Amino acid sequence: MISDITIGQYYKGNSFIHKLDARAKILLTVLFIAMIFMCKNFLSLGLTFVFVVLSVLLSAVPVKMYLKSLKPIIPIVIFTAVLNMLYTGGETVLYSFWKITLTAEGLTTAAFFAARIVLIIISSSILTYTTVPTMLTDAIEKLLSPLKVFKIPVHSLAMMMTLALRFIPTLIEEIGKITNAQKARGADFESGKLLQRIKAIIPIIIPLVVSSFRRAAELADAMNCRCYTGGNTRTRMKQMKFCFKDFVSLLVFCIGIAGVVLLNIKFGAVI
Amino acid sequence: MNSTLLETKNLTYVYSKGTSSQVHAIRDICLKIEKSELVGVIGHTGSGKSTLIQHLNGLLKGTSGTVLLDGKDIWEKKSDIRKVRFRVGVCFQYPEYQLFEDTVYKDIAFGPTNMGLDRDEIDRRIREVIYYVGLDESYLEKSPFDLSGGEKRRVAIAGVMAMQPEILILDEPCAGLDPKGRETILSMIKDYREKTGSTVLFVSHSMEDISKIATKVLVMNESRLAYYDTVDEVFRHADELRNMGLNIPRLTKLFLMLREKGYDVNTNVYTLEKAKQELLALLSKGGTDK
Ligand SMILES: Nc1ncnc2c1ncn2[C@@H]1O[C@H](COP(=O)(O)OP(=O)(O)OP(=O)(O)O)[C@@H](O)[C@H]1O
Ligand SMILES: [Mg+2]
Repeated sequence: MISDITIGQYYKGNSFIHKLDARAKILLTVLFIAMIFMCKNFLSLGLTFVFVVLSVLLSAVPVKMYLKSLKPIIPIVIFTAVLNMLYTGGETVLYSFWKITLTAEGLTTAAFFAARIVLIIISSSILTYTTVPTMLTDAIEKLLSPLKVFKIPVHSLAMMMTLALRFIPTLIEEIGKITNAQKARGADFESGKLLQRIKAIIPIIIPLVVSSFRRAAELADAMNCRCYTGGNTRTRMKQMKFCFKDFVSLLVFCIGIAGVVLLNIKFGAVI
Repeated sequence: MNSTLLETKNLTYVYSKGTSSQVHAIRDICLKIEKSELVGVIGHTGSGKSTLIQHLNGLLKGTSGTVLLDGKDIWEKKSDIRKVRFRVGVCFQYPEYQLFEDTVYKDIAFGPTNMGLDRDEIDRRIREVIYYVGLDESYLEKSPFDLSGGEKRRVAIAGVMAMQPEILILDEPCAGLDPKGRETILSMIKDYREKTGSTVLFVSHSMEDISKIATKVLVMNESRLAYYDTVDEVFRHADELRNMGLNIPRLTKLFLMLREKGYDVNTNVYTLEKAKQELLALLSKGGTDK
C-alpha cells in the first residue's frame, strides 16, 4: 500500500536523462506539460506521445516503474473520463439510454482528459526517477532565485523542500516499523467498518507525530552544531552546469511544441 | 522430552524482489525451537536477524519455505494470522517508539484488548507484567511520554508480555542502554521465563549478555543460519565465530587460553562467579598440574 507510492523516488541510473542538468530537466518537464495541454487533435497528441515514449526509453528506467507510478491514479483517470463522457454535450449521438447520452464529442473529450493525466504523471515521473531530490530542490532554488529581488526567502524555501523530500523515505520506513509493532500486538487494520478502520490508525499516527517532532528537534540541533546559518553566503559542493546536451534537449522540445502547434492549425481542433 | 514448538523449513526472504535493489535477507533457514528454551540470537549487522523474527509471527511471509507453529503452517489460514501473533509475541528494536496511549496502563492494555479479553483479566495481567519488567503500580497512571528511555522500553516490553504469548521474541532489548539498564533487562528476561515457563528468543550483539542467561545460541551469518546449539557447543567454534565478526566472552577466552596452556579447567565459564569457582578449584589442586 504505502510502498506503492513512487513519486519522489530516485531510480539509480546513468542514462542520458540522468545526466542532464536538473534545471534543464525541470524546464523540459514544464515544456512537456505545456505541450500536453496544447494538443488539440489526435495527431498532435500522437506527436506528444512519441516524445513521452522516447523520453521513457532514454531514461533507462524500467517501464514497470512507470506503470507503478500510474497505478494509484487509475481511479482518478477513470472517474474524470466517465464524467467527461457523460457531461460533454454534442450533436453526434452514438447511444442513448434513459438519461444517459453518449456522444462522439464526449468520447473524444474523455479520451483526451485521460491521456493528459496519464502523460503528465509519466513526464513528472521521468523527472523524479532520474533526478536526486536534493539536486531537484537546488535546481528549483536556482530557477527561482530572481524572486530574491522581491525579498522572497528562496533559499529557506528550497531548504525546507529539500528536508521534506529527504524525510519522505524515512517517514515511510517509520510508518512501516510502527505498523509492524502494532500488528505484533494484534492491531487489525484490514477489517472492520470505516470508523473502526480510522480509529485503528491512531496507534500509528501518534507515535509517528511524536517521533517526527523529536527528529525535527534533533535535526535542528545538528544543523546548529554545524553552524548552519542559511542565506546567500553558502556555496555548493556540486556546481550545476548547463551543457551542450541540455541546450539540444530544450531545442528539441521547442521544436516539438512548434510541431504540435502546426499540427493543430493544419488539421483543426477536435477539442 | 522437549517438544518442538516453532519450526522453520527452508525459509528464504528477498526484499524488493525483482528490482535493482533486491536483497536476500535470509536464505534457507531450517530451525527447530523447543519449548521453554531461552535462545540468544546473535549475528553481525545486516545478517538477517530482524527479518527472521518477523517471519516467526507472520509479519513477513517467506518468499519460499514455511513456518510451523506446533506443527501447523502459520499461513494455513490467512485470517488466523492475528491469532498467531498473540501466540508469538514480538517486541521490536527500540519498542519505545510504539507507545501511543496517554497512560502506561492503557498502552499495556492495547494487546490484551485486541485479543478480546475481558476487563478484569486485562487488569490482572497488567498488574502482573508491570512487576515482571521491574516497575511498580505507581507507573500505571503516568504518561508513557514522561518516562525515561529505559522505562519506556520496559513498558513496551510489558505490552507484549501482557498478551502472555507462548513464545516471547525481543529484538535487541538492550540496545542503547547503560550497563545497569542492560543488567535489569537481562535479569527481567530470565525471571520472566522462569516464572511463566514460556519460550523466549532475544537478539543481542553481546556474547557476554547471551552467555549469561541463554540456554541456546542462534548464530546468523550473512543471511544464513550458522549455528543453533547450546552455549557451550557454540563457543567451541571460537575461531569460526571470530571470522563472522563475533567474539566469545572475554572470560571464556581467558579460560580457553588457560586450557591451551595445559591447565585443567572447564571452559564453559561465562560469569565472574563461575570463574572464581574454577580458579579456586584450580588453585586448591595446586594450580600447576601441567
Ligand atoms: N525494509 C527493507 N527493505 C529492503 N531491505 C531490507 C529491509 N530491511 C532489511 N533489509 C536488508 O536485509 C538485510 C537483513 O536485515 P536485518 O534488519 O534483518 O538485519 P539484522 O541482522 O537485524 O541487523 P541489525 O543487527 O543491524 O539489526 C540487510 O542487508 C538489510 O539491508
Ligand atoms: Mg535488527
